[in-house]
Amino acid sequence: MCNTYIPIPMKIERIINENPDKSLRTYNLSFVNEADKEKFVYMPGQFCEFSILGKGESPFGIASSPTEEGILKFTVSRTGSVTREIHYLQEGDIVGVRGPLGNWYPEELVRGQDVVIIGGGFAFTTLRAMIVYMLEHRDRYGKITVIYGARTPEHFIYKEELDEWEKRDDIILHLTIDKPYPGWEKLIGFVPTITKEVRLDSQSYVIVCGPPIMIKYTLPVLSEIGFQDDKIFTSLERRMKCGIGKCGRCGIGSKYVCIDGPVFSLAELNKIPEAF
Amino acid sequence: MYKFKRIYLPEFIEYLQKTYFVFAPVKSGTETEFKQITSFTEIDQSRLNTTISPKEIFFPRSEVLFTYDEDGIKTPPKREKPAALWGMRACDTRSMRILNDVFANAHQMPEKDMFKDPYWIDKYKDCLLITEACLNPLSTCFCNWFSSGPFDETGSDIFVVKGEVDYYLKGITPKGKEVLAGFEKTEKTIAKDEEELKVLQSIADSYMNPPTDLGDLKDKLGKIWDDPLWDEIGAKCINCGACAYVCPTCHCFDVSDEGKGNKGKRVRLWDACMFQLFTKEASGHNPRSNSIHRVRQRIMHKYNYFVDNYQKFLCTGCGRCVTVCPVNMDIREIIKQILDHKIEKKDK
Repeated sequence: MCNTYIPIPMKIERIINENPDKSLRTYNLSFVNEADKEKFVYMPGQFCEFSILGKGESPFGIASSPTEEGILKFTVSRTGSVTREIHYLQEGDIVGVRGPLGNWYPEELVRGQDVVIIGGGFAFTTLRAMIVYMLEHRDRYGKITVIYGARTPEHFIYKEELDEWEKRDDIILHLTIDKPYPGWEKLIGFVPTITKEVRLDSQSYVIVCGPPIMIKYTLPVLSEIGFQDDKIFTSLERRMKCGIGKCGRCGIGSKYVCIDGPVFSLAELNKIPEAF
Repeated sequence: MYKFKRIYLPEFIEYLQKTYFVFAPVKSGTETEFKQITSFTEIDQSRLNTTISPKEIFFPRSEVLFTYDEDGIKTPPKREKPAALWGMRACDTRSMRILNDVFANAHQMPEKDMFKDPYWIDKYKDCLLITEACLNPLSTCFCNWFSSGPFDETGSDIFVVKGEVDYYLKGITPKGKEVLAGFEKTEKTIAKDEEELKVLQSIADSYMNPPTDLGDLKDKLGKIWDDPLWDEIGAKCINCGACAYVCPTCHCFDVSDEGKGNKGKRVRLWDACMFQLFTKEASGHNPRSNSIHRVRQRIMHKYNYFVDNYQKFLCTGCGRCVTVCPVNMDIREIIKQILDHKIEKKDK
């Protein structure tokens, strides 16, 4: 019998500051044990419990794609006690990781289809994983459109990659910020507004991930455009602890975000009380 | 059916101790809890229901998941012998079976090994559950709402009735039968014993209040999620969490680290959906920020959500929550209120 409560050791290879105030940091981790690496099979959208022994554990979506072999990437916003401790870590430090946990974005379902990715703020982590994965298997999918909003240009994460994607002709990127900012020449406006303005084909599959308020206002826009509820997917966030449907913290209706999610279609969520 | 003279209880306990660590109700202060006993004299025979449920034997209120130091991570040593529980009541026995569904049966996905809880399984898998019939049920008992009763054997390995002179014992599972067969003081019951058992059971049954039919409860709950009725139900609750603490089926927990330098441990601790912090996220966002919502969660989980996942209620009618509630909330009254509630048609 395996013991899912025991973390595997991982080493911090690289720490990247994602914004000038250093409140968002990306951690590239490598496996300490080769056997753990072999066993760690995951898909974009899944999450892990990231822990520092003695300081505690918190759930984070995996920001790397399984195509990026040998590393796991997490982007951590300094918010509470565990994330503060994570921000004190240095390159070379050993941390604990449990996972992969939960389900994943419907990668197989969207093969051969157009895909729209809508993200906001630093909740772009698992969306990045999905985009990287799709670009790596580019011929499997139709048109890929990305709408990504942040408060200011500084608040985007993975900026270098966003620049690279903008240069490609096989992915359409719409970057938007909340209000005018010196030097910003791209879109201005909240994500729901931009979603309405950008012409989207309602036959596409949509994956939305962002702060609760963004999701709340974006979903009606998508329905208005004509997307079917079973073609809209989102990833929910709750305060998961055990990750295996026992501790009860992430219950929404009779579902647990940690094992039945975190990815749900809007059709599923409509049936669950307390989802929003 | 077997019997042995009540004076042989000490010997029976000693006999069990050869194979098991024996746990039984033990008085401590004003409370009675299941504790490991070394001798039968420690058993508190005056109480019907223990103050805290026996779930603690398999799912301690604070349990070390692992310790760590320079050499790495170590899981705690396992219990050397399985547990035998003497003096359980039917409600608690059924509760342990329900909890086993949660912790060991991997959400009815037996192939998903990662969903199994090794800490529960190690302690539970070879345990012996000995249920004692309730001869004088309490006014708070409502096990008969769940097709159970004072003499319910469901889930027991051995079922015991305390007679005038004898303990009557019935082996239910093969394991229970084997244990009874190995105790030399037992004799076969005779017709007169059967008579006594019948009388005891009819007296016990007469103590029980008439049951409420819960046939419509799950469906009703499915229809009233956003009904103003919850404001009425939850108004009194002070979110103290006592109900969840004493409940034999509540199983929510928190995971927390305690450490200094490079030594420490990760523990899990009982938690409850009654607490605001249970769902509060680091950002300050709380998906269940209101006391009323938390009361609703507890009721919905027990009588609606859990039924979806396990086809049974997460409640066995032990009545402990009724006893401990500091503001006199009575879950039986809440259920009746829900069943009697007329849903107003929405014209929106």
